[in-house]
Formats: sequence, structure tokens, C-alpha cells
Amino acid sequence: MADILGVVFRRFASGSVTSDLPFPSSVEGNTLVIGDANISRSVLFLAAVTAATDLGLKVLFFTQTPFQSLPVSLRASVPGLKLESLKNVKFVYVKTLKELVEDVASLHELASEAASPPSLIIVDGLEQYLHGPQGGLLQDDLGPVAHVAALLHDTAAFLTQIQQNRADGQGLCRVMVSFQSECEGSRDSESPDLLLSVLDRYLQVRCTLEKMAGQNEWQVYLSGTCPSLGHQGQQWHMVLQTGGAVEFRPVIIGEQQILNQQDKSRQENERREDGK
Amino acid sequence: MDSSLRSVAEQLLKDLQRTYSETNQIPDDLLIALRFVFGPCALQALDLVDQRSVTCVSSPSSRKAFQVLGGSGHMYTCFTSCHYCPCPAFSFSVLRRNESLTCKHLLAACLSQAMGLCQQEQVSDQQMTHILSGQTEAST
Repeated sequence: MADILGVVFRRFASGSVTSDLPFPSSVEGNTLVIGDANISRSVLFLAAVTAATDLGLKVLFFTQTPFQSLPVSLRASVPGLKLESLKNVKFVYVKTLKELVEDVASLHELASEAASPPSLIIVDGLEQYLHGPQGGLLQDDLGPVAHVAALLHDTAAFLTQIQQNRADGQGLCRVMVSFQSECEGSRDSESPDLLLSVLDRYLQVRCTLEKMAGQNEWQVYLSGTCPSLGHQGQQWHMVLQTGGAVEFRPVIIGEQQILNQQDKSRQENERREDGK
Repeated sequence: MDSSLRSVAEQLLKDLQRTYSETNQIPDDLLIALRFVFGPCALQALDLVDQRSVTCVSSPSSRKAFQVLGGSGHMYTCFTSCHYCPCPAFSFSVLRRNESLTCKHLLAACLSQAMGLCQQEQVSDQQMTHILSGQTEAST
């Protein structure tokens, strides 16, 4: 999945949009996206659109909340987008963890007959399925989160095998899950870190979206055990434009230090303004 | 847990598979290594293997899973591609405390597979869905 995210970032990069993007190498990269719910949802949506249109992949998008409007302006970001190519994305609205688990567990039933099984399984806002009866994240029982994450991993591995059996060793199915660790009832407890550590066992790549103070800009960090990331991971800079278009730019290490310094200076200025 | 320990565990299981396929037994040095790497659950897992407690269930869609009959009579469903077991020991010692690599059920499944000692059972696609979603047991 880190490879599909790489395609997304290059696809929506400022300054150059290439139509001839090489298909990424076959490396296991199930991905956990962490950040604010809205921006994570936008990144997932972009990944779905990119996979469906540029790469011609079948995508399953599980979410609790139907899309009332596009999370990003695709028309602004992708002027030549043909909406019929979005037919490769199937949105599945599931309300509960039980429904999500049953739907994922049943994917094998159709995969053997389907012309092309899904190559990308997206789960938007996994934390929304993991709330206990009191509303906060499940504190004492790690079983449900481990089960759903392991099931997603195993299902993707099965669908990969199906594709490779049909296509002479080619094809992959990947999983992409977003998780907002800071939600009501969990801010000061250890449970979000514990839940994340469980998810890390089954999702090899972590994509962290960190908002920069005061602007529609985010730092995007890719890290994990995926070999394609290299030792130090990858960093990108994401900007949400006024018209709703999104842009990505790779960050070089020296430039990162300048960005950190600019961010720090901005925060200090804001504190001084608040103190007046 | 340290990734190097995981690599050691994987190599150990490969060595065991090779040795067992050639000699039909587990030599003492491999038993000692199993005990060292996996702790007390190694012997418990070997007991489960001896009792033929591991079943590989498969469906017409080619989906597979392991079902392990625990000492308490409870059936645990484990996946073939990653480490997961619904038992309390896995949830506590592996997930919460990160003290153990695995539980006895998962290790029994790995050992049974390496030694070719899994029972085989065919189920329907629908039954497999229920098994994977943690709803039913295959052997009823």
C-alpha cells in the first residue's frame, strides 16, 4: 500500500502530473493511516481514485459514513478525470464491527468467481468500530481490533494468491486502514498506543498525517518495516488549496529542517499574539 | 518483541520441518531450541500436536484457516498468513504485554503444518465465512 500512496503523491504532485506512472513493485505494504479523521478520509479517497483510474484496480471502500460530497475537489486536482472510471470503486457502508468483519470474511465467496477480485481494501475510520459501551475506545479487550486487522491481512494475502494464480505470478491485494487515535475518552489513557501497537503487527507501513499549525498543510510521514521505504522512511508535504484541490511535494531532509524552523517560528508568533 | 528473535523462530521452524521430513522425529537439540525460543508454551504446543488437535479447514473457494482444539475443549481459529489467536493468553501475553512471541495454539498450528500432522476438513464457503468471522466451529 505504501507503493499506491507513492503513486498518489506523485500523481497529485505540484508542478508535474505524469500520466505514465510505473506500476509499483510487488512488496507487502498494508498501511495504517493516522491523522485527523477528515484529512485521513481524503487521503483514502485519493488512494481509491488513483488505484481505480490510473492503475485500473478494483477497490473496496468500507466506511461508516456515506459521502455526502467529495472530500477533495477531484475536478480541480484531476481535470481530465472520467467519472465512469470510478466504477472500479465499490463503497460499502457498514455500521458495526460485526458487519465489517462479516463482509471482509465473506470476500472469498465471490473472489473465485469474480473476473477481477479487489486489489485494494480500504477501511475508513476503524476507531469508529471499536467503541465500547461507554463511548470511549475499547480499553481492556484487544481481541476485536487484533481480529479485524488480522482478518484484513489474511484476506488480502488470500486475494493476492488468487490474482497471482490467474496472472502468472502477478498481482497484489493490499489493505489501507485509517485510525484516529485521539478521540473522546482516550486522550490521557494508554489504550490508543496499545491499539496502534496491535495494528502495527498486521499493517506494515504507517502513514502519519501531522497538521502544521494554522494552515491547510500537513506533513506526511511514511515509516515501517516495508523494504521499499528504505531505512529512513519518506516524507511529503501536503497542501489543501482553497478550491479543494490537493497537492503533494516530497520533502528533502535539509528542507525538512527549514520547514520545522518555520513552523516553530509561526507557533511562537501565535503564542506572543495570544499573550498580548 | 525483537525482530531478530522472530527471524530465529522462523528459521527454527524451517529447520524442524526439514529434519522431521527426513527423520520423522524431532531431535533433542531442536526441542531445546523450541523451549528456549518459545518458552513454556512450546511443550504445551507439542502436546496439542501429539493429540492431533490442529485441523486445516478449507473451502471450495480455496480459502484456508486453522482450527485448534484447546485443552479446555474450546476451538480457536487461527489464520494462515499472520499470527493471531482469539485465546486469552495471546491477547494478554502477546498483544498487551509483548512478552511472548506466540501462544500454544498458534505454535501448535505452525508445528503441525511443519510436521505434516494437520487434520484436514472441507467446509462450505458459507461455513468458512462464519469460521473466519469468529462465529462458528467447523466440527459440530
